[in-house]
Amino acid sequence: MIPLSHYLALGAILFSISVVGIFLNRKNVVILLMSIELMLLAVNINFIAFSHYLQDVTGQIFVFFVLTVAAAESAIGLAIIIVLFRRRHTINVSDLDSLKG
Amino acid sequence: MTFEQLAFYFFASVAILAAAMVVTVRNPVRAALFLILTFFAVACIWMMLEAEFLAIVLILVYVGAVMVLFLFVVMMLDIDFDQLREGFAETLPIGATVAVLVLLQLVIVLTSGPFELEQVAAPVPAAADYGNTHQLGLLIYTYYVYPFELAAVMLVLAMIAAIVLTLRDRTGTRSQKPHEQTQVKRKDRVRLVKMNAEKKN
Amino acid sequence: MNHILNMQVATPEIFIFSMACLILMIDLYTHDRLPLLSYWLTQATLVAGIYLGLGGMGTEPVTTFNGMFIHDGMSVVVKLAIMLFTLIGLVYSRQYILDRGMYRGEYYVLVLIAVLGMMVMTSASHFLSLYLGLELLSLSLYTLVAINRDSDTAVEAAMKYFVLGAVASGMLLYGMSLMYGVTGSLDIKTISAAIQGMQSDDVMLMLGLIFIVVGLGFKLGVVPFHMWIPDIYQGAPTSVVLFIATAPKLAAFAMVIRLLVDGFQSIAVNWSDMLVILAVLSMALGNIVAIAQANFKRMLAYSAISHMGYFLLGIISANPNGYSASLFYMIIYAFTGLAAFGLILLMSRSGFEAENISDYRGLNREHPWYAFMIALVMFSMAGLPPTVGFYAKLSVIQALVDVNMISLAVIAVLLAVIGAFYYLRIVKTMYFDAPEAERTITTGLDARVLVSLNAVMLLAVMPWIGTIMDLCMSAIQSMG
Repeated sequence: MIPLSHYLALGAILFSISVVGIFLNRKNVVILLMSIELMLLAVNINFIAFSHYLQDVTGQIFVFFVLTVAAAESAIGLAIIIVLFRRRHTINVSDLDSLKG
Repeated sequence: MTFEQLAFYFFASVAILAAAMVVTVRNPVRAALFLILTFFAVACIWMMLEAEFLAIVLILVYVGAVMVLFLFVVMMLDIDFDQLREGFAETLPIGATVAVLVLLQLVIVLTSGPFELEQVAAPVPAAADYGNTHQLGLLIYTYYVYPFELAAVMLVLAMIAAIVLTLRDRTGTRSQKPHEQTQVKRKDRVRLVKMNAEKKN
Repeated sequence: MNHILNMQVATPEIFIFSMACLILMIDLYTHDRLPLLSYWLTQATLVAGIYLGLGGMGTEPVTTFNGMFIHDGMSVVVKLAIMLFTLIGLVYSRQYILDRGMYRGEYYVLVLIAVLGMMVMTSASHFLSLYLGLELLSLSLYTLVAINRDSDTAVEAAMKYFVLGAVASGMLLYGMSLMYGVTGSLDIKTISAAIQGMQSDDVMLMLGLIFIVVGLGFKLGVVPFHMWIPDIYQGAPTSVVLFIATAPKLAAFAMVIRLLVDGFQSIAVNWSDMLVILAVLSMALGNIVAIAQANFKRMLAYSAISHMGYFLLGIISANPNGYSASLFYMIIYAFTGLAAFGLILLMSRSGFEAENISDYRGLNREHPWYAFMIALVMFSMAGLPPTVGFYAKLSVIQALVDVNMISLAVIAVLLAVIGAFYYLRIVKTMYFDAPEAERTITTGLDARVLVSLNAVMLLAVMPWIGTIMDLCMSAIQSMG
């Protein structure tokens, strides 16, 4: 039998990895977007684990909607990346410094 | 160690290792492939939690559509990957410290007691005739009809947004315009000119 | 469990979304022949939406859609304000949008979907509807910021906004997942009841609360989660900034109330301590960094950060008086922001953005009336006595004094005094500096009249101020 805490720890580890990813890849927007996907995956693991141990299907329903939103979000994120690349010919975020002060 | 534990720790380690690779590899294509591996491992864990429908959706929708979209975009853009690596080593210590701190706190709190087996017993496995998809379907189309409609609005929004941002009407390229082509009338293309017969000379 | 769907209370939402779809279709066929049709249809939609919303005034709180939608006094007032401010903002920005080639039917469709998202958030009584409303709003805003695809700064601002917004949603969701684990429910009423029986030092509960407050902090743009605000304000097209700076602030108020008050009122001690830190940092950093700005829009961004700090003061006092003071503050702030950005839009013309403070040098000589209007707006933002901004600041500080948080109130007043400096600098630039270039105003008559009216209404001698205050009070009291 696996305790609930182990599932939650897995979620926490993935969440932390995604936070590192956001720190590390501040220049590479595509991997930044993937880190965000990882963050949502960590959240979903939490919901599904709680849903299973609480014997309550609501958590799974929430995950269903989070997946929908995440798909819509990555579509828009990738669209912005394409527009960015067309303008700047780079996706390097550190080049994005016209806004400062 | 039971088979269940073995399976859990195997899939969990695969998921963690692959996730770590996603954020550290240089090449976005590899990162995307490692992210797919993470999704597969997590989908297996969701299977163990009896969330079969979501596990399948994660593979079909996420791996099948979203990750392919990622790969597509990465391939479409001509990116200089080496340049993107600069400064990686400098941010690594800060990033790693923050992450270790967050992780330590989370793990200490989450494993501090309230969620051990003694407090939250593992539920009895569902009966063989239990259908996860059936149950979710019943709820989503009835009880959760309002969020379901909102999710539909969300997808419409994503579609409008993606088209608004990326559609370009290029000038100077030749392309098929079926709606105009089918509506062509004879008089638009053929002009009958009345000419007098030439005199034989 | 009520399985009968009472859709009547959601009429404004349903109407707005149907019209958004209709406008999308109509625009496709009429874009070339009747270019302004989608603008007028959108305005008509908002007017009709306000009319439908007014029908819900003064009724008893109702929940529908199986407890996922709540209709109460607060939601009615906030929704009306959201629709009204969006409507006024669209009048101000029409000329700007036309001049810069951003005029497309989709612009208005996205605005309407954002309005729908805000209304859904305002009426959310379930984590699910709250989250979906929030994302409807955020995704439309990311797109609107990037809608001028030929502007480098706008696209860059959109990218930053997107990344930070997505991280904020992630934090909020992680907090929600922990709350779900602790209470076993996603329904805000049920969660509130479950928390009441728990000890306030429950570690899991606190962890969940911290993540939720961090997520809210990002969305509100309070220090230390404010990094995106200045870049968006400076980089995005002014018409979009006008929209972001007004209506969504009210939706953010509703989100704070739904989560912290409806959901976690019984652990108010804990979250109000966290908010104190955020509020003090925001007021301090916002007011101090704003002094150094040369870009008017960026200065207003730092001003927005400090205003969010003041807004939190009312929430911190954790009682209905404080909440109504916060609602009042938000309405006044959004209304003032509407006039501020309206005037920037008025001063700009094609090829000229009027976004640097130096662009306003000596404005008084050429356009004394508009210089006076800008001065009024600046006075109101600074919170100087003859304007409504003063009453707004007074009411939140009063709420703090009522709960004996004197030291916090003193800090707030001191920082407001520092803040007055940079607002007055704008007034000085307009009245005492020599003008540089000729300025012509090309904006249409409707926007000019409306923005003048907007600015004049900031004078507190008008009787409307008391009405709004009473409205805020009754809105908070009739919460379901």
